[in-house]
Amino acid sequence: MSERRTIEIATLARVEGEGALHLTVEGDQVVDLRLEIYEPPRFFEAFLRGRAARELADLVARICGICPVAYQMSTLHAVESIFEVTLHPSVRALRRLYYCGEWIESHLLHMYFLAAPDYLGLEDGIAVARSHPGEVERGLRLRKLGNRILSLLGGRPVNPVGACIGGFSRTPTRSELKELAEEIVRARGEAEAALRFFASLPVPSRPQAIELVSLRHPSEYPMNEGRIVSSTGLNIEAAEFATAFREHQVPHSTALHCRRTDGGRYLVGPLARVLQNSDRLSPSALAARESVAERLSSPDPYASVFARAIEVIYAFDEALRVIREFEPPPKPAAEFTPCAGLGHGATEAPRGLLYVRVETDDRGDVLAIQIVPPTAQNQGCIEADLRELAPRILALSHEEARRACEMAIRNYDPCISCSTHFLTLEIERRSKA
Amino acid sequence: MRIKVIGLGSPNGDDAIGLEVVRELSHEALPGGAAAVACDRPGVDLLDELEGIDAAVLVDALRSGASPGSVRVLSPAQLARGPALSSHAFGVVDALALAAALGRPRPALRIVAVELEAERGEGLSVAGRAGVGEACRCVRTLLAELAAQAAVETD
Repeated sequence: MSERRTIEIATLARVEGEGALHLTVEGDQVVDLRLEIYEPPRFFEAFLRGRAARELADLVARICGICPVAYQMSTLHAVESIFEVTLHPSVRALRRLYYCGEWIESHLLHMYFLAAPDYLGLEDGIAVARSHPGEVERGLRLRKLGNRILSLLGGRPVNPVGACIGGFSRTPTRSELKELAEEIVRARGEAEAALRFFASLPVPSRPQAIELVSLRHPSEYPMNEGRIVSSTGLNIEAAEFATAFREHQVPHSTALHCRRTDGGRYLVGPLARVLQNSDRLSPSALAARESVAERLSSPDPYASVFARAIEVIYAFDEALRVIREFEPPPKPAAEFTPCAGLGHGATEAPRGLLYVRVETDDRGDVLAIQIVPPTAQNQGCIEADLRELAPRILALSHEEARRACEMAIRNYDPCISCSTHFLTLEIERRSKA
Repeated sequence: MRIKVIGLGSPNGDDAIGLEVVRELSHEALPGGAAAVACDRPGVDLLDELEGIDAAVLVDALRSGASPGSVRVLSPAQLARGPALSSHAFGVVDALALAAALGRPRPALRIVAVELEAERGEGLSVAGRAGVGEACRCVRTLLAELAAQAAVETD
């Protein structure tokens, strides 16, 4: 007779959004595992139909309070490809700066408030603030700069509104950028200290064979542009997304799961980006990567926190580069003529590849839109990861098992609000008759 | 004495009450020269708003089961910290707890809480709108008290 045990986590803690985990094991075999996303569906893809393409950037920014820029960027690129809009090089560079702001803000929030409590055995970010006030203050100072960038280009840090078809509704002045650059120069050394802090913590390790998927650009660390590449040799244009990936529904989740067309799971996000694009990092980000090289020698979801810290360093370097090379564009946004067509946008959200497909009619109104957020793509990996973890946590108490599962899930920094969109653990341990 | 009125909320239904209060108050000279600031879901950024000031009046929508639009003045100790689960849900109480954990000096705080009716939708409910007017009067009274107190302290 082997023991059957069910672990239920009714509400997952410290992930963005609301979800639950149901896990049933019999002996050391997982008989049922469901990452349940019960946040109500949000119907964005349906209610965006019929809207004018020019409204999309402001509307999709409402999908997420943490990563609005990503939704704006993938959507705008899709629309701009239909309207054949060419961005002025300065505007294109400002879009990279805008993305740097979002990566900085999102990564630091995750690192200090969602992930750090795991490595310190504490309940939440407030407990971390009590035990390590200096470190948390550092995280807050760095994150604030991300906010500064978002406010400067997006008009405000929450649900920014500055990006539009062809560019921005307003571009910053040289003096505004100079002031920002001075603040970044003063703070950027702290980004390396942040990585050192996380590298000093007992971050677990469990390398796994995972297909990594990210953008790859001929010369830049990927943000807004590039081909979709994978560690197993995939190399396609954004327009070919449907040839390699397919979304499907699962009964236990209000979020779609996205898999490779052959059913394979794959990983998107900072770890996939860093592992596939190390040669595109800035010198100091590359040096930072070398300092944790051992942890990045093979794909290990637990090492994602280091990838985030490396990308924070990169984002500061890149922000400074953009500002230093900035020449004001003749106008903030290129002009465009709405028309019918089909466009694709793939950009790198803080949590990974975000694909958008837009179809417009001859007035440029939306006929159909598909939005594939990173969390929808990582759900397969998260479930596979938990399946592998399950036999190891059977001997643990319910509380310890819950922590182990939540920690494994948090490595992916799922944004459940985006993918629909958190954990309630249920582990069922039952004896087989 | 540096005083601020901080309106908190989001554009969803009556959750915008705090933002609306600040919008109304921004048209007038406030007692004690107080600055009025609207913060749309500031999360941890509320800590920055509380830096370098001596006192603040926070205005926010509340759901407590009281009659919609009714206004109450609360002290921070009266707010209960719920299970803070994600940074999407990082609220005022969490921000105050974080500031305390970091040992940051905390300004004197009063919270003007307006009972909400509609949690979602466009625009305020009738009760929510009535609550805004009442909350504005309440904020002015609190600011006048804080300013008078500061004047006594300076004398």
